[in-house]
Amino acid sequence: MSARRAAFSAALTAATAIVIAFLLLPVVAIFVDVPPGRLLDGLRSDAAGDALRVTLKTNLIALGLILLIGTPAAYQLARRQFRGRAFVITLVELPLVLPPAVAGVGLLAAFGTLGLLGGTIDAFGLSIAFTQTAVVMAVAFVASPFYIRTAIAAFEAVDPALLDAARTLGAGPARVFARVALPLAASGLGAGAALAFARGVGEFGATIMFAGSLRGVTQTLSLAIYELFDVDFDAALAVSALLVVVSGTLLLVAKLLPTWTRSPSTFLSGSVRSTSS
Amino acid sequence: MKVAVVAVTALVLASGAAAETPKLTVYAAASLTDVMPRIDARQRYSFGGSNQLAFQIRQGAPADVFMSASPEFTQALYRDRLVEKPHRFCSNKLVLAVPRSNPAGLRTVFDLKRKDVKLVVGTARVPVGSYTREVLRRLGMSSLLTKVVSEEPDVKSIVGKVALGQADAGFVYSTDVRVASDRLRAIRIPPWAQPKVHYEVAVVRSSEHRAAARAWIARLEQGRARRMLRAAGFGIR
Repeated sequence: MSARRAAFSAALTAATAIVIAFLLLPVVAIFVDVPPGRLLDGLRSDAAGDALRVTLKTNLIALGLILLIGTPAAYQLARRQFRGRAFVITLVELPLVLPPAVAGVGLLAAFGTLGLLGGTIDAFGLSIAFTQTAVVMAVAFVASPFYIRTAIAAFEAVDPALLDAARTLGAGPARVFARVALPLAASGLGAGAALAFARGVGEFGATIMFAGSLRGVTQTLSLAIYELFDVDFDAALAVSALLVVVSGTLLLVAKLLPTWTRSPSTFLSGSVRSTSS
Repeated sequence: MKVAVVAVTALVLASGAAAETPKLTVYAAASLTDVMPRIDARQRYSFGGSNQLAFQIRQGAPADVFMSASPEFTQALYRDRLVEKPHRFCSNKLVLAVPRSNPAGLRTVFDLKRKDVKLVVGTARVPVGSYTREVLRRLGMSSLLTKVVSEEPDVKSIVGKVALGQADAGFVYSTDVRVASDRLRAIRIPPWAQPKVHYEVAVVRSSEHRAAARAWIARLEQGRARRMLRAAGFGIR
């Protein structure tokens, strides 16, 4: 019996070891294949520098738009109870599970020159094909659900009694949102923003289909890796290493933010306890 | 006992049959995407930019045959003893593809010099991109490269962008326009500016089916395959 138990626990340990090794090896290999000095040289290449600038600019704009429009939308979806709410939330989450190529085809079919809204966009004298606007749209499409999903959960976790209390004290709905709901949900919103940013920085499929790839204009870090990998594998490794660091940091931020911002309340309860003693 | 003998005989026969016609894995240039499965649908194909396929073969990809849109990649692999001696098997031409609706109103390649033409080309590395640079050099229009709106990893991506009207024009092979003739029109490039576009095919040395791969390549040089290549618009010597 205890032998069986030992075998089972050994099997669990083995499975865990396989999972960790399999998931970690490719990441470690990126750093092992090229010495750190060469990694830095690879990053100093013009192509990598241009790609870094394009990636930062388009992703910061996309994130700004996601926060600006996604936050109130998430607040609405979290607070309002209406028929089909679960369905609407599922629709918003759909891009999370869509293959990137499908996102690219969809964006082309909707906003492409010959797409559904192509004529309308043309009529305004605008052209988004092959511009950074197209990159921003691709990034926003794939990344915003990460933020909105987390933001809905964060707003749902806010104690409704606090919002009601603010209202009975005379605060209007906008003030309740800005002064009570937002600060209370801030850590969750931050975590969602970090996740969305990480997903956006890594965007590839929809971008190359919808925005194309041109150095200094639409070529993001992921696209640069794809263009570099057969010409200059070291440079591709260097850019990959940079993305591992960036994405890892963002994941860490997303994980730690909620615990950090919970600290004021624990600090408060701690101080209450200390005065009572 | 008798059953076992029959079973073993059946196994031997089956494996013998399998050894005679193994399914080959063919890595082929993206511009062959439409014609190759029509010539021989029994093989497994992986289509992509010749440069990327060559890179994958260097990394040990399980290819039996490599079909490149430029001798550059077959010859480089041959020098490094990764493929057997390459054969030329067909040629192609470059054209300027425009959407059927031709929104930029292009009539000749020289119209590209006008402003505001959204031109898409291949990267410098992929064959169609290096041929394009050669054409532009011969036309004395290399400065156009600074106005290109996107550099695509293979010719199919260029075709897609132009066919969808995202781009106003793109340099592709004449065979690509034939395949998408309902959405694309070809603008000819003057013969004196035309680069030599040769396709080469080679057996991959690490293949387990080298004899079968050689036989398959030999069949490519025969009547039916040649007729189909010609019908698709490829040049045959």
